[in-house]
Amino acid sequence: MTEPLLRIEDLRVDIASRERTVHALDGISLELAPGEALGIVGESGCGKTMTALSVLGLLPPGGAVTGGRVMFDGRDLAAAPAPVLQDVRGNSIGMVFQDPLTSLNPTMTVGAQVAEPLVLHRPELSRKEAWTRAEEMLRLVGMPQPAERMKAYPHQLSGGMRQRVAIAMALVCEPKLLIADEPTTALDVTTQHQILELIDGLRERLGMAMILVTHDLGVIANRVDRVAVMYAGKVAEESDVRGLFARPRHRYTEALFASLPERAADSGSALHTIPGLPPNLAARPTGCRFAPRCTFATDECRTREPRLADDDVRGGEHRFACFHPVPDDASEAEVVVPPAVPAPRAPGDVLVALDSLVKEFPLKGGAFSRRRGTVSAVGGVSLEIRRGETFGMVGESGCGKTTLGRIVAGLEEPTAGVVRFEGHDPARMSRAERRAHRRRVQLMFQDSTAAMDPRMRVGEILREPLVIQGVGSRADQEKLIAELLDAVGLPRGAVRRYPHEFSGGQRQRLGLARALTLSPDLVVADEPVSALDVSVQAQILNLMRELQRERGLTYLFISHDLAVVRHLADTVGVMYLGKLVESGPAEQVYAQPLHPYTRGLLDTVNLPDPRAAEGLDRTPLEGETPSAAKPPSGCRFRTRCPMAQEVCATTEPPVSTPNSAGHQVACHFPLSAPRLASAV
Amino acid sequence: MTGFLVKRFLQALVVLFLVSVIVFTLLHLLPGGPARAILGPKGTPQQIEHFNHQQGYDRSLPEQYLMYLKRLFTGDLGESFKLNSPVFDLLKQRLPKTLLLTVLSTALAVIIAVPLGLLQAVRRGKASDYALTGLAFLLYATPVFFLGLIMIILFAQVLPILPAEAPQGESVGELLGDFTGLVLPVVTMAFGIVAMFSRYMRSAVLDNLTEEYVRTAMAKGQSSRRIMVRHVLRNALIPLATLLGLYLPTLFSGALVVESMFNYPGMGLLFWNAAQGSDFPVLLGVTLVVGVATVVGSLLTDILYAVLDPRIRSVA
Amino acid sequence: MSTATADVTPGAAPGNEAAAQATPSLARRTLRVFTGNKLALTGVVVLLLLLAFSYLGPLLHPTEQVHTDLSQANLAPGGSGHLLGTTDLGYDMVGRLMVAGQTSLEIGLAAGLLATLFGTVYGAVAGYFGGWVDAAMMRITDAALAIPAMFLLVVVAAIITPSKGVLIVIIASVAWLSPARLVRGEALSLRDREYVQAMRMMGGGGARAVFKHIVPNAIGTVIVNCTFQIADAILYVSYLAFLGLSIPPPSADWGSMLSAGITYTQNGYWWLIFPPGIAIVLVVAAFNFIGDGLRDAFEVRLRK
Repeated sequence: MTEPLLRIEDLRVDIASRERTVHALDGISLELAPGEALGIVGESGCGKTMTALSVLGLLPPGGAVTGGRVMFDGRDLAAAPAPVLQDVRGNSIGMVFQDPLTSLNPTMTVGAQVAEPLVLHRPELSRKEAWTRAEEMLRLVGMPQPAERMKAYPHQLSGGMRQRVAIAMALVCEPKLLIADEPTTALDVTTQHQILELIDGLRERLGMAMILVTHDLGVIANRVDRVAVMYAGKVAEESDVRGLFARPRHRYTEALFASLPERAADSGSALHTIPGLPPNLAARPTGCRFAPRCTFATDECRTREPRLADDDVRGGEHRFACFHPVPDDASEAEVVVPPAVPAPRAPGDVLVALDSLVKEFPLKGGAFSRRRGTVSAVGGVSLEIRRGETFGMVGESGCGKTTLGRIVAGLEEPTAGVVRFEGHDPARMSRAERRAHRRRVQLMFQDSTAAMDPRMRVGEILREPLVIQGVGSRADQEKLIAELLDAVGLPRGAVRRYPHEFSGGQRQRLGLARALTLSPDLVVADEPVSALDVSVQAQILNLMRELQRERGLTYLFISHDLAVVRHLADTVGVMYLGKLVESGPAEQVYAQPLHPYTRGLLDTVNLPDPRAAEGLDRTPLEGETPSAAKPPSGCRFRTRCPMAQEVCATTEPPVSTPNSAGHQVACHFPLSAPRLASAV
Repeated sequence: MTGFLVKRFLQALVVLFLVSVIVFTLLHLLPGGPARAILGPKGTPQQIEHFNHQQGYDRSLPEQYLMYLKRLFTGDLGESFKLNSPVFDLLKQRLPKTLLLTVLSTALAVIIAVPLGLLQAVRRGKASDYALTGLAFLLYATPVFFLGLIMIILFAQVLPILPAEAPQGESVGELLGDFTGLVLPVVTMAFGIVAMFSRYMRSAVLDNLTEEYVRTAMAKGQSSRRIMVRHVLRNALIPLATLLGLYLPTLFSGALVVESMFNYPGMGLLFWNAAQGSDFPVLLGVTLVVGVATVVGSLLTDILYAVLDPRIRSVA
Repeated sequence: MSTATADVTPGAAPGNEAAAQATPSLARRTLRVFTGNKLALTGVVVLLLLLAFSYLGPLLHPTEQVHTDLSQANLAPGGSGHLLGTTDLGYDMVGRLMVAGQTSLEIGLAAGLLATLFGTVYGAVAGYFGGWVDAAMMRITDAALAIPAMFLLVVVAAIITPSKGVLIVIIASVAWLSPARLVRGEALSLRDREYVQAMRMMGGGGARAVFKHIVPNAIGTVIVNCTFQIADAILYVSYLAFLGLSIPPPSADWGSMLSAGITYTQNGYWWLIFPPGIAIVLVVAAFNFIGDGLRDAFEVRLRK
């Protein structure tokens, strides 16, 4: 290895708040060669972001480096005075943050913000030269009409364009190192892909090194040379990317991979899960930090701390800190096989039928302004959900999937069209019938924190549906709640605590318990796992599946995550800009997508396996989703469709079933070639 | 922005209408009704009856309201029976002086409060922050006239360096000519609002400091001072425009007290003297004008805010 | 940014024994944060002292506060057995401050509470119904706010002869506007919270939304605002007195004592000016400190 560009040596960082001090980083050592791309991956709280921030001395209030060095260009940045750090920041190290909206100054023009690093670090440039260079940089990051955009403000740009601005800002001084902290987490799949491609291209062009911090194993698998897996403030394993994915050695890495829905043997089996939660970093745990959650842990693991050591076969290329690593000769599927789940019941009769459902929202433009319009959130959707199945609805943000779910759940009234439950339209029911009908459909929210009254104890929250519906005596209610807590795997004592005292995964368990108190037929779950870490996500998905089998539940499962839907759903619907473009049995839709959008979406997804992506002929989606206030005529996808013809602009595509009766597509020119089966 | 402005303008019109209704109602709440208010306490019952018939005060209330509005639009606000002069003329003379006092003291308050709030935010949690916060609360808790009294005792009696009485003069120019006389009224009124503004600045700067764009600015390699000036201050100052609009009524109330205290020849003093002498045409005329001034003023500050904040400027 | 602290809630893991213990109630934790705030505690202490001074004081220090004795007028503090001297009508200053304190506190508390009560109901109705009802109700408050409170108070007080009850009502009649706006904003935002939506999903109606979810979650804001309202009401009483509109003697409040003292600024009778002035500053500041401390306490609870 050449002289490293960046060398982090035994870095320790504490974050002090009023109540306690968290040892966020506890002896991190990493190296990065010039031009190299290092990925740092781990779940929330593992310290990956703190590592990135401490390189530039950008720790949050209360954060301080308590030990170790950050050597960059012969200088220790951890001990450097402010002027030295200011000279490095934005000049030889550029940084891109997660949320492109909040990380830009809302009241400064894009141009002024992109030119700012030049003003600071290239004093020899005149204002005009700096402005011209900033404009060139915008062109380089793929901003259309850069001259005009220079004068725009961040809120006038889409999320993807804002992130391009952030990248331009980080790279305008042509740094030697780019640190990207979850740069695509806030973006849609297709935008995410475009941004990652952009970073790849620029990195090659400028010959710079990169640290990519992410929780997303799919992103990390395809974009970096080396990966460091972090757990509880330490590096658990470090390797070149192919070696890591092909042969993880640390038991945590192994378990993390196994939790991925993409890795599940098939959609009939449960996911591998990691029990429990990461340790509390306010107290320094003894022994291996993963030991309490590890199936292979021994007394040694619990008392002695494993050191990061070289792999016996691959040497320094692959290092890990584990006393009982995955054996060298083990095959990939050595992971403990999760228990098989009972076979799904045969799909029943139609429970819910949507008939030409339309929802339009008025566009806010002031009570008397003339530019009033409507946003077409749902543009005529018809579908059927059968009793006992999981209907997975996928699509990017703004496609109308959430609105659709809220209409089915009865939280919104459709502008036109009907939702029928077993043939009955709730809109035509009497008040009493409607109230009783409420019991049959419940909603599970993405953010259970927001969905639970912060002033109520859990017991009261869970009892509320029963009280409203007047079900049983108080004793009956409490008994039912205790049973529900057992069913979702929470202690019965939880009833006396407040929602904020639980972790994200536990709150989703509570959310599920509350949705089930009234024994509904249908649960509408809107992105129930998207805020969770992979290992916790697997727990919730398994729980949902288990409860479905036990209680004969029907799910309308709404998600942007194709892999999660693939794992859980029996039937899949794909929405684009308010339209249902394709629907059918999950295996069929994924193996042989009929709509170019579905195909593009599947091709865009980052597979958490560096090898899987290679054999595929992938044509990712390009462009951005148009505004729902002015949807394109005819087929709404035509503006991004590689196969669009004249007819697509004039006529709305009819629904056809070229493949099999249950597999519908709304396209003038449905695809015929099957997609390679190994994908998601 | 036009959408926002049109909406805001129509709102202001509705509010103006309601203000006129409130003042009209007050007129009818007076003991003896408008006749007593206009003829004064000396009017005999016969005079009042005659007056009521002549002026249409025996007609229905909506009709009377329309007549009232009509008179307002011709600038007829009644006549002061103490000063024997049309209220409109009195106001024309006094309003600019009150505006002068208000503008000067607001400007002074902003000049003091902005750096003070900034300082508190930067020193958050330190002794100086606590001391200034405590002081701001004490200042807020001090009635303006008590503050003025302390000023007079300190600077006109103990250290006789400033006059205790405001300059007297026919025009704004004359007032400005006697600058030393303006000091105490302006400073007193400014202190009354410094507490509110510095409190706002402190929390606005603190809020902005936690924003992620500040971290981005740091990642570019800027010094804390530059970030404060170029990024934070600017974003914290823009909403101050709206705050000014919200505090207009408070400002006018303060002017009323300060003018009475220092015998400053503005609208507040006119109003105060009218209250002492139950000069109802003046009282209601001033109330209406102050209400209109507040509505127009807050409309202007909202427009200013929309011009300053690109997020509102470019929407629709 | 909060990645370092996420998901490490101690003792919250499933099956953990600690989870079986109930956690302290919200009220108790709010109190703990409040008592940790030094300024707020100072406010409480000052307020208690002023209350004791006004109500218990006359028992320990009985003085003549009805009949005037001009022979004893304007005596300087210290000598003549009057700790703070006497007023222009010959009342003992200390005793006068006690009696006046009762009036100021009573009017302030009553007017502040009345304004909060009315404003809260008004704002909750506007916020809960929304739409045109809200627009109409809010334009009315805009108009009432556009006329500066002091001007309105003076006009009203010029029409009606002040008494304690009248002062309470007219101060409340201008002070209700700010809680009305505040509560309306709260109601508008709480109405759309996901937990209210979740309750609707279960078939719950409007009454439950209001009384079980919206009111309990808005109550903190209302309580905080109420302490500020009381402070402002006490200030209003003093302003009205300054403008010549107070309850006629032999009644007194701190504001009217201060105004009476202003007449003697030129004579150097400082004891007529500073004691009532300082009393007003102290009580208003105390309520503000308390309100500020309460706001922090309520916020901390919801943030954590």
